[in-house]
Amino acid sequence: MEVLAPRTLAEAAEMLAAPDTRAIAGGTALQATWAQGAPRPARLVRLDALGLGGLSVADGMLRIGATVTLAGIETSPAVAQAAPLLARAVLDVGAPGVRRLGTLGGQLGWGAGCLLPALLALGARVRTEEQSVPLADWLAAPGRLALGIELPAQDPGPWAWRKVGLRAAFTPAVIAVAGAGGRLAAGGGVVRPQRLHTAEAALAAGAPDADLAVSIEAELEAPDCAFRSAAYRRRVAARALLAGLRGIAPAAAAAAPTPRPPAGTAPAGLRPLVRDTGRPDWHPRADMPAKIAGRAGYLTDARAPGMLVGRILRAGRPHARIVELDTSAAETMDGVRAVVTARDVPGENAFGIMWQDQPALCGEVVRYEGDPVAAVAAVDAGTAEAALAAIRVVWQDLPVIDDPEAALEEGAPALHSKGNLAGEVRLDRGDMEAGWAAAVHVVEDTYVTPRQMHAFLETEGGWCAPTDQGVEVHVGGQHGARDREQLARILALPETAIRVVTSPIGGGFGGKDELTVQPALALLALKARAPVRLHLSRAESVLAGVKRNPMRIRMRTGCDAEGRLVAQEVAALADSGAYASLSPAVLETAMEHACGPYRVPNVASHGRLAYTNNGAGGAFRGFGANQMTFAIECQMDRLAARAGLDPAEIRRRNLRVPGTPGYLGHRVAGSERLAEMLEAAASDPLWQRAGAAGTGVGMALNLQGNGLGSLPRDEAAAALRLAPDGAVEVLCGLDEMGQGLVPALQASVAAHLGCDRGDVRPVSGDTGAAPDSGSTSASRGAFVAWQAAARCAPGFAAEVLARAAARTGMPAEALRIVPGGVGEAARNAPEPLLRFADLAGALPEADLPHAATRFAFPKTEYTRGNARFIHCFGATLARVEVDPVDGTVRVTDLTMHTAAGPVIDLAAYLGQIEGGLVQGLGLTLTEDVAMRGARVVTANLDTYMVPTIRDVPRRLRVTALEGLDRDDPWGPRGVGELGIGAVTAAVANAVAAATGFWPAVAPVRPGAMLETREAAE
Amino acid sequence: MSERADRRGADWGAAPEPGGIFTKMKERDGAGRMAFVLDGEALSVECAPDRALTAILRETLERTATKLGCGIGRCGACTVLLDGAAVNACLLMAWQVEGRAVTTVEGLAADPGWAPLFDALAEANAFQCGYCAPGIALALAGLFAADPEAGEDAILRALEGHLCRCTGYASILAGALLARDRLRARA
Ligand code: FES
Ligand code: FES
Repeated sequence: MEVLAPRTLAEAAEMLAAPDTRAIAGGTALQATWAQGAPRPARLVRLDALGLGGLSVADGMLRIGATVTLAGIETSPAVAQAAPLLARAVLDVGAPGVRRLGTLGGQLGWGAGCLLPALLALGARVRTEEQSVPLADWLAAPGRLALGIELPAQDPGPWAWRKVGLRAAFTPAVIAVAGAGGRLAAGGGVVRPQRLHTAEAALAAGAPDADLAVSIEAELEAPDCAFRSAAYRRRVAARALLAGLRGIAPAAAAAAPTPRPPAGTAPAGLRPLVRDTGRPDWHPRADMPAKIAGRAGYLTDARAPGMLVGRILRAGRPHARIVELDTSAAETMDGVRAVVTARDVPGENAFGIMWQDQPALCGEVVRYEGDPVAAVAAVDAGTAEAALAAIRVVWQDLPVIDDPEAALEEGAPALHSKGNLAGEVRLDRGDMEAGWAAAVHVVEDTYVTPRQMHAFLETEGGWCAPTDQGVEVHVGGQHGARDREQLARILALPETAIRVVTSPIGGGFGGKDELTVQPALALLALKARAPVRLHLSRAESVLAGVKRNPMRIRMRTGCDAEGRLVAQEVAALADSGAYASLSPAVLETAMEHACGPYRVPNVASHGRLAYTNNGAGGAFRGFGANQMTFAIECQMDRLAARAGLDPAEIRRRNLRVPGTPGYLGHRVAGSERLAEMLEAAASDPLWQRAGAAGTGVGMALNLQGNGLGSLPRDEAAAALRLAPDGAVEVLCGLDEMGQGLVPALQASVAAHLGCDRGDVRPVSGDTGAAPDSGSTSASRGAFVAWQAAARCAPGFAAEVLARAAARTGMPAEALRIVPGGVGEAARNAPEPLLRFADLAGALPEADLPHAATRFAFPKTEYTRGNARFIHCFGATLARVEVDPVDGTVRVTDLTMHTAAGPVIDLAAYLGQIEGGLVQGLGLTLTEDVAMRGARVVTANLDTYMVPTIRDVPRRLRVTALEGLDRDDPWGPRGVGELGIGAVTAAVANAVAAATGFWPAVAPVRPGAMLETREAAE
Repeated sequence: MSERADRRGADWGAAPEPGGIFTKMKERDGAGRMAFVLDGEALSVECAPDRALTAILRETLERTATKLGCGIGRCGACTVLLDGAAVNACLLMAWQVEGRAVTTVEGLAADPGWAPLFDALAEANAFQCGYCAPGIALALAGLFAADPEAGEDAILRALEGHLCRCTGYASILAGALLARDRLRARA
């Protein structure tokens, strides 16, 4: 590409006349089109030296040059004064960083910027070298270079502006509308910017509201897109303009008043968790300073001389046979050091945590768009990409299955030899006929949950290098020992020949539990005999990575006249995508929660998991429990409404009783705190804030099992040792993904030894340095960390004290471990008698204190299905406002009461709950990987809507009830998944309280909210 | 490696001259040299004019303190200061950086004046995995440099282009407010 910098307008015009040439200022709009696949032009013509950066008010006109940035418009007092509508509208374009680069000219040249409706409504004209033309005319035929705009600087009277997007901020436009001085305009995103002339006439004629709305809807040209319908766009445009210009807040729908729990008392011991850096229980994390300063050493950040760059060729089609795969051109390219395909896999070309149905590199068939076909290693990224492009594949497309229902139909083409049923779970008990006969109130719906993406900010990647014996693999993961086991099978190497380093990681959430890029990277490194690095682009990560299994859950629930549950029927269908990974276990976990925390005598439940070509499903925080909780907790509120009970009372009447068997009939651990969570919710002050029109408060309970369950092997090993430098090292093979393993290990060891957190150095995430502690998943980390410390501490302390006794000449019994080292048991000296470093320094390496442990995660005996033994408990409350204009649900308050035993580290615990709540909020309101014909539509973070800081509730509250039963031997429970568990249900119940309508589809569709509203109006 | 970087003397900082460097110097395939100041150090890099600053930093210069989360300006992980203003490095093409001063989190962290920002964010445990942290630190530096009194709303607006997938943002806001107060107290 060439970038030309003309000195004069004439020069610019001449340059722009050449083919394949584009004008450029900030480049943000142009790059957005490139990101969506538009080709880069051969030449760019810079406009920044042409004097188009002026902004002025003169002769009653506001003039803004084409290269004025959006931030320049935003901060200009002249614009604020002369065109407040424009000043307001510009805040809704992009985000601050983008507005500092993007220009007015970009909005014009792109032709789709959401500022355009505002400019149209302001009567802006475009200045070209020859003349000034109305903006609408220029947009219709944008021939001449736009030098800027001008618009009348007088007060246009009342004005209206609204941009409706997919989330609260930094969102693509669904529709933007503007009205000023009698002009009406709309546009943004897929909607062509347009004046609404007929509606303007109706407005001028003083048409009644309803007629004006009809006129706007009739005139607006708006298409459908993957996210919102044309009808929704038209309706919202009309409502927004009416609301903005005539101050009509459409009357709030009168929701049937929902009973709320009477004021009660919170359970004793419930404590609010507050972020107070001054408190003694607030500990800054040891890994934080390096992370903030960019020195954390993520595995994708590794660079070294001679390190090659890897790239993976993805199928790019959902289902096809590979007829021919020719890599010869790529192999002979300059700078290419290795090309690998299925032919290069020395061992079993298959992986998968549960069963191995996923090829490391596809040799015969691809089953989803992200399936890897080949990989290359080259001297740099550009060469590697060129080599990928030189690989020739002849495809034979196969029939595509993009719907789990269709996958299980008779005669559907089978994606795997055993058919398309990837899993099935049934549980029936009691007498359904009798149950339904006893039911006085019955509610039924089908709850639909989305294909949520983990969207960890660091995408998959890392580096691999050959070693004398085999290979070392440094790729973000959640269980190094298992990655090693899987890689050994693929590479036909003994496990001892492979070292796997898995952390630190920029976020996991389950999405790095399965192998990601490790097989391709390891094959490349072994073939190239050189280190190779690879970091997936976001677009590739979206295509290739596992997602939350979408589920359709049909649930029919009946209660008697007093609200006691008598019958429950559940039919769930989950989409596994192309391979199994952990999806069968996700389905099992979902079905384990089919009755939530309630007693139901008569149950028929049936869950199925289907293979499709819809990407790849797998583990994601919550692991199926949150999907099922959405359904059951909404059913409870619906039955409460039918039975005339408040939401707390119906739960009270049905809640599990501690000591009774779990849902599958299995034995569960004590320290059950459901009743306490229910009372915490019932007495929550948030209920007092219910009631205003369009607002509502809802609640939901949840329980989340810890550990992998009764069927899989679930063990952990760990060790404590005094390192030669005097650090108390805790060796634990779990991974720091951000969740707080580092503080959990430090706090646990400090608590059990009596030393300081700072004395403790965690060694984790490396099979070469720490023992196998099992996977960093299933909320098992807290238990493992605590138990590791509890079990190693006595032996380790005894060794430390014995060695210290020998050094100090004092009896070991007179000594104890204190912060910094060993002190006298009887005294509270500020300084240790013997520092750890001095003790370590005085000992030969073989004598350094050391203690190791190996233990099983606590399990129940039940083995007819997978069942969890220890649990944590929660109650979530949400307060929502349903926007009267566009139907958007906004959560203003989110509160979670939790019970998971003692809080090991306050900041980590709070962070896990808050992070889980907000990730759940994303699932509930904005997140879904949209697919059409088994192809991903939401290709990047421009359309996949992760909540921003402005989407989250301003009031986020978390409490903890820390006590355990007297004889509880298990200690703290893990809360990694607790927070996400009940948000969707709590929000849906709050929406119902506000509108009388229970949204059964997540993410909640604003269009559906609007329809119910309009029905009520 | 086919991409090279070398250090230049003190002839940096010139404004982009009309008919700028890329029109004059055409080495292989439209590549040129781009001179800019990175964290106070004058550099000249051989690259194509449309190469993204993220690629120049992370690939050509192998400086990976600046993170990459989306590559299309939608996550904020790559944020740098361009002549003091926070912008998305993945949206900056080489020609746009020519002759300008870029501050990454490395430069910011090396400046003792910003120590209260880093300390406050760390003390507040503002982050979890930390991958969003450098970008957010730079956005806050840009904000507080321009508006030391920035209130909660201004902070939320300044961070609306920064995705954090771990925290739920409450800790980030708390850290930002603490940082503002510390910076103000020191000023
Ligand atoms: S990487 Fe630049 S904004 Fe995401
Ligand atoms: S801390 Fe992980 S993305 Fe922000």
